[in-house]
Amino acid sequence: MGLTHSLARYAVRHTHVMVVEVPGHWLTRAAVERHILDRGWRLAPSPGDADVLAVCGTPRAQLAAVVTRLWDQMPGPRARVGIAAPHLVEAALSGAEDELLDVARQQADSRSRPDAPQSPDHDMGAAMNHGAEDGMSHSDHDAHAGHGGMTDEHGGMDHGGMQHAGHGGMDHAGHGGMNHGGMDMAPAGIPLARSGEDRDGLEMDVLHLRLGPALPYWPAGLVLRCSLQGDVIVDAEASLIDPAEHRSGYDAGQADALHQAARRCDNAAYLLALAGWEDGASRARRIRDSLLLDADLAGMTEDLDRLRRAVKRSWVLRWSLRRLRPLTDDDLTRQGLPSHLRGDTRDRLLSMLARAAADLAGSAVRVDRPRLVPLGSIADLVCGLDLGAARLVVASLDLEPFTATTEVVHA
Amino acid sequence: MPDSAVSAGSALAAAGILGLLAVLAAVLDGFLTARAAGGGPSGLSRPVGEVARLMRQRRRTTVAADTLLWRIGSAGLLVMALMIVTVVPLGEWTLFDLDVGVIWFNAMDVLAWAFVWLTGWGANSTHSLVGGYRFLAHGLAYELPLMFGLVAPAVAASSLNVGTVADAQQDLWFVVWMPVAFLAYGTGILAIAVWGPFTPALGTDIAGGVTAELSGVDRLVFQGGRYALLAAGAAFAVPMFLGGGAGPLLPGWAWALVKTGALLAVFVWLRRRLPAVRPDLFMEVGWVVLLPAVLVQDLLVAVVAVWRT
Amino acid sequence: MITHISFWVFAVVAVLSGAAVFWVNSMARASYALALSFIAVGLQVLLLHQNYIGVVTILMMVMEMAVMAVYMVMFMGMNPALMPMNMVHDKRHALAAAVGAFLLLAAGAVLIPWPARRGTPPAGVTVALGEELMGPKMLVMAVVGAVIAATIVAGVVLAAHRTRYDRLGDDLRRRPANDPQPGGVGR
Repeated sequence: MGLTHSLARYAVRHTHVMVVEVPGHWLTRAAVERHILDRGWRLAPSPGDADVLAVCGTPRAQLAAVVTRLWDQMPGPRARVGIAAPHLVEAALSGAEDELLDVARQQADSRSRPDAPQSPDHDMGAAMNHGAEDGMSHSDHDAHAGHGGMTDEHGGMDHGGMQHAGHGGMDHAGHGGMNHGGMDMAPAGIPLARSGEDRDGLEMDVLHLRLGPALPYWPAGLVLRCSLQGDVIVDAEASLIDPAEHRSGYDAGQADALHQAARRCDNAAYLLALAGWEDGASRARRIRDSLLLDADLAGMTEDLDRLRRAVKRSWVLRWSLRRLRPLTDDDLTRQGLPSHLRGDTRDRLLSMLARAAADLAGSAVRVDRPRLVPLGSIADLVCGLDLGAARLVVASLDLEPFTATTEVVHA
Repeated sequence: MPDSAVSAGSALAAAGILGLLAVLAAVLDGFLTARAAGGGPSGLSRPVGEVARLMRQRRRTTVAADTLLWRIGSAGLLVMALMIVTVVPLGEWTLFDLDVGVIWFNAMDVLAWAFVWLTGWGANSTHSLVGGYRFLAHGLAYELPLMFGLVAPAVAASSLNVGTVADAQQDLWFVVWMPVAFLAYGTGILAIAVWGPFTPALGTDIAGGVTAELSGVDRLVFQGGRYALLAAGAAFAVPMFLGGGAGPLLPGWAWALVKTGALLAVFVWLRRRLPAVRPDLFMEVGWVVLLPAVLVQDLLVAVVAVWRT
Repeated sequence: MITHISFWVFAVVAVLSGAAVFWVNSMARASYALALSFIAVGLQVLLLHQNYIGVVTILMMVMEMAVMAVYMVMFMGMNPALMPMNMVHDKRHALAAAVGAFLLLAAGAVLIPWPARRGTPPAGVTVALGEELMGPKMLVMAVVGAVIAATIVAGVVLAAHRTRYDRLGDDLRRRPANDPQPGGVGR
C-alpha cells in the first residue's frame, strides 16, 4: 500500500491533461495551460495519453457529446474537470489531482467500464462509424451494403482517434435501426470506404475524417469535415459546433489591446507548435501569459521582437513554411480575406507577430469591425493539401475566437 | 557453461548501461523542456514520474485493432536498441564481436520501418495510420543515405567489424574527414528514434500520430524505446566516427561512454532547437541532396583508401 | 549442442511462420509472418558461419516485407485491416503443389549422398563463396546491378503522367515549377 501510494503520488506529479476549449473561453484555456506547465504537468495531444480532461467553459449539446466520447476514450485513472473562468483553474486542477489519487474511486470507475471498446452494434459505436460519413445525407448509409465490395484499406478506420469525437449525438438517433449490411461487408460494424479519382487520375479510396473540435492546437469550435485520399484533403467543409447556441463566454468584454496582442501570440504559439519548433512555441506561449498577467510591457515588447527575429533567422522554419498556400491580393479579395494574410505561411506567421507588436505599441490601426476570416474560405484553403500542411495553413490564418460576430460574417 | 554465464552477465550489463543512458537522455530532455516552459519544477524527475504514471495507467484497445501486431510494434524499438548495442565495443569488451557488425547495425535499423509502421497500423485509427505512413515517407528519404554513410568508415578501415573500424582511427577520427557521412548517419539516427526534426510521425497535428492510441505500458515501452534507440545510435557512432575508446588519460571504456554521452546530449538538445521536417519536403532533400552528397563522400573515401594501399 | 538445438528451433520457426502466411487473414500479418520466416532463415545461415549472407538476408527481407506490406495495403482493392481475407487462391491445387515441392526438396536434401569435407574452410568464407558462384562474371554482375537500377528509374520516368512541360511550362522557363506537391529543394 505504501509503495502503491508513493508511486501514485509520483505519477500524479507528472499528470498529462487534455484541454478542450468551448468557443468563447480561450482566456480560461490559456490559464489552464499556464497552470499545467507551472505544475510540471504536460498537455496531452490525445485522450489515449491523458489522465485529466479539462473542459474550459460549459459545452452545449454537440460539444458535450464530444467531451463524453473523449472521456470514454481515456485509459484511466482519470479525472474530469469543468472550468468556467481563469481564477477557478488552480482549484479545479487541485481537485483533479485529488481525484486521481483517490484509489477507491478510480477502482470503482474502472470496474464500471466495459473491458473492450463498444462494438458498433451497440449504441455508441454506431454513432462512431456512421459519423465517419455523416457529412452526407443519411440515405447514403443504406448504400453501404451495396458498395461493400469496392473498398479500401482505410475503410472506416477513423473510429479510433479523436475525429469521431466530432460525431456527437446528432446522428445517433437516426441510425438506431440501421442495417449494417452484414458484418462481413462492414467488419466490426465499420462501413468500408468507396473510391474516387485522385489528383493523378488514379482510382483511390476516399476516407472521411473530421478535424476538430477537440484536436490539439486547433481553433476552438471549428469542425472541418474532410474527404481524404491518402492523407491529402480532396474536399472539405467547415462548420462551427453548436452554431445555434448563444455564446456568452468569459472572454466577452475582454477585448483591449493587451488581449489582442495575447491572442496573436497564442495563435503564433499554435503555429510554431504545429511546425514542430518547441522552443519557439514555448517562447510565444510565455509572452502570451505575461501579457495576460499584465507583466512589464517594455520587456514583453523586447521579447516579442526577439522571437520575431528568431523566426526570421530559422532557415528550417523558412524551408518548411515558405511556398505553403501563398495568397496574392487577388486571392484575398476573391475569398474575402483580410489583408494581413497576404503571402505564404511564413509571411503570415511573421505578420502575426508584427500585429502583436503593433497591438502592444498601441499603433494598431483600429478598425471598428475587423474583417474576419469567412468559414467557407477555410475549407477552400486546405483543399489539395496533406493533413500536416493543412493544419499549418489553418493555424496561419490568425483566427479570432469564434464568437457570435462570426456568424454575422458567415451569414 | 561458465562461458554462457559470463556472456549472460555482460548482456545484462550492456542492457543496464543502455538503460542508464536512455534515462539520462530523458532526464536531460525533461530538464530542457521544463526550462523552456519557464517556472514550475525542474523537470529532472520527469522520466521516473512518467514511468510511474504509465505503469499506473490502464492499457486500452480500440475497435477492431490488430492487437498482436500493435503490441509487437510498440515493444519492438526497445528490442532494436538492445540488438544494436550488442556489436558496439566498450573498451576491450564486445558482447557479440561479429565480423560484419556494420551490416548487423543496418539490419537492425531497418526494423524501425516494421515496428513504427506496425504501431501506427495496429491501432486501427486514422491518425496513427497517417503517422505510420509519415514515418515510412521519412524512411524512404533517410535510409539510403544512412546506409551509404556507414559505407565510408567501413571502406576506410577495409573491414565490416566494428572494433576494427574503431582501431583504424588511431591517427585521425573519421568524423574529421568524412563529415558528410557522419551527418547522414546522425540524420538517420534521429529519424529511426522518431526524434526532433523527424517527429511528424508523432506530430501533435495528428493527435500524437503513431502514439495517439497508446496508453499505459505500451506507451512506456514505445517512448522508452525511442530514448534507447537514440542512446544506441550515439553509442554506435563512437566506434564508427569518433575514434572509439581513443583518448588521453582515461581508459578506453570511459572514453567510449563519455563520447556516447556527449553525442546523446547533442541529439537531445537538437529536439527543441529544430522545427519538424515535413516528410513531403524531406523526400526530395534526401534523394536529390543527401544521397548524392554521401555517394561523393564514399567515392572520395574509396579513392583515399585505394591510394593508401 | 546449443548450436544444433537453435538450428532446429529456427528451422521450425521458419517453416511454421512460412505456413502462417497462408493461415492468417490479414495482409499485414501475412507479410510479417513471411518476414519472421526469413529472419529465422537468416539466423540459421548465421549459425552456418556465413555471417555476411545471414545478416544481409535479415536486412533485405525485413526491408522488403516492410515495403511489401505497405504496398499491399495501399494498392490491393480490399480492406485488409478490417476485412478478414483469405490468403489462398485455388486452395486444393496450391496445397498439393506446395506440399509436393516441399517434399521434393526435402527429399533431395535428405537423400543425396553429400560428399564429406576435405580440407578446411578458407579464411574468407564469403569471398570464397562469391568467387565460386560468380567467378569471372563478377564484373558483369556488378554492371548488371547498375543497369537494373537505371532501368527502374527510366521506367518510372517514362511511366510518369506529368512531363517537364507540365512542370516548367512550354518554354521550360517557369520557376518554381508547377507541382501538385512541391518538393523540398525548390526545383
